[in-house]
Order: sequence, then structure tokens, then C-alpha cells
Amino acid sequence: MAEKCPACGSCGMPMEKPEDYALGDVTRPYCRYCTDARGELLPFEQVLETNVGFYVESQGVTRAAAISMARAMLADMPAWRGRH
Amino acid sequence: MQAVTRQEQKVVTRDRLVNAAMALFARKGIMNTTTADVAKSVRMSHGVVFLHFPTRDDLVVAVIDEFGRRLSAEFRQAFERDLGLRAVLHAHLRVLAELEPFYARLVTEAPMLPPKVRSTLMLLHAAVSYELFVALERERKAGRARKIERPLLFNTWIGLVHHYLVNRDLFATGNSVIAEQGDALVNHFMTLVKP
Repeated sequence: MAEKCPACGSCGMPMEKPEDYALGDVTRPYCRYCTDARGELLPFEQVLETNVGFYVESQGVTRAAAISMARAMLADMPAWRGRH
Repeated sequence: MQAVTRQEQKVVTRDRLVNAAMALFARKGIMNTTTADVAKSVRMSHGVVFLHFPTRDDLVVAVIDEFGRRLSAEFRQAFERDLGLRAVLHAHLRVLAELEPFYARLVTEAPMLPPKVRSTLMLLHAAVSYELFVALERERKAGRARKIERPLLFNTWIGLVHHYLVNRDLFATGNSVIAEQGDALVNHFMTLVKP
């Protein structure tokens, strides 16, 4: 198996380099996209919006489909598990 | 001999389960495979599988993640050596060829799979889309490619590749349609992006 790297506990993005982590700190559980300038986790709606944009921009899917897919992905992440 | 720690054993077991699941998904189909089938194939108790992967979806996601890791390593090499769009396309196909029987099942069954699994596949596609676009832009700046919007660039490539994969029995005489048709697909795509 290929070498595994940690994934963001909020969006699941693989964090391969220090700059992928919040504040470039490899001990942090979340990536730079899911955190603010102080390294704190952003609100759910903001993280969702980033992921929706990611799907729409990369594959041209509808916004409604992107929201549904992104919600399904985030629902299982440690940061958002159990959130209704 | 060094003693194997509990953590190392856990990783070994997890890898065995992921490999076994990948083989079963390829052979029987994803929706036709249960976590009990996976447990049986590696002669482990169902409880062990459950401990690592509570649902079949978790197993499918783990297999897709493994695919993503291999892809990411191949792309990194192509990117660091600035090998261009053709090399990125070949890097993508190399990883697809390694996992072809599983991947062909995945894309065939994708519309029927739960959103969590489809979403994981879409994340993988987003990474491919990014690599293709960055490579195309480099080619474009060097006058070797024309401007193409990112989603259509990706969808044209993936549509072509997936069509051959889903119908691999029609396009390949042997076990791998990528091995037999991959070069032709890359050549065709490179013609499409020319200025």
C-alpha cells in the first residue's frame, strides 16, 4: 500500500505538506481551507460552501448536486459527525 | 525479530481488508459484496471487519482513498518534473490500469451508490480535474494547447476513459482496456487540445 498521510478532520483533504495544515502546523487536525486566520475551525456552512464550489468548479455539476454530495461527505467527518 | 506492535498489526489488518475488498468488489460488484463476504475471504471474523469498517460504504471509501493516494503520488512525480499534459494523462491511466477491474466496477455502479461514496469519487475527480487544468494551462502558455474551460476539459477526458472502461469487454481482447487502448486515448486527447 502507498504511504498514508493524515486527512483533514473537517473535509477529508489529504494533508501531505506542512502548508496544507492550519497555520502550517502539522499537529493541527484541520486543513488551511477549513480554518480561519487563527487556525480555528470555520462554521459548517462556510466549509460546506468551499466544498460545493470545489465540485462545481472542477466538474461542472449543478449547485444542488454539489450541495447534496458535499453534505454527504461532511456528515461523516470527525468535525461534523452527529451534526443535524 | 522485532515484535509487531498493536498499532502496526492494526494497520496490517486494515490493509488486508482493503485489498480483499478491492478484489471482491472487482469480481462480484460493489453492491453485490457484503462485509461478511470480505471477512470470509480473509478468514477473519465479521467483528474484526466491523471494527475497522462499520459499513460496506466505509470499505468502498477506503478503497477509493487508496486509489487517491496512488494517484496523488503519480501526479506529484509528473508535476515536479514538469512533464506536461501528456505525462499527466499517462500518470492517470497508470493508476487506473493498476486498479482497473475495481475502478471499472466503481464507475459502472456509481449512479446507484450512496452519496457518501459518490462524493468520495467526486473528490478524486476534482483532484484529477485540477492536475489536468494546471498541465493544460502550462501547455497553453507555451503555445501548444488552446483554452478549454476546466469542467469540460475534465469531463471530455473522463467521459472518454470511462466509456472504454465501462465497456471494456468490447474494446479489449485481454484483461486491460487501458493497456490496449490507453496510448490511443492519450494521443486523441492531445490532438483535441491543440491550438
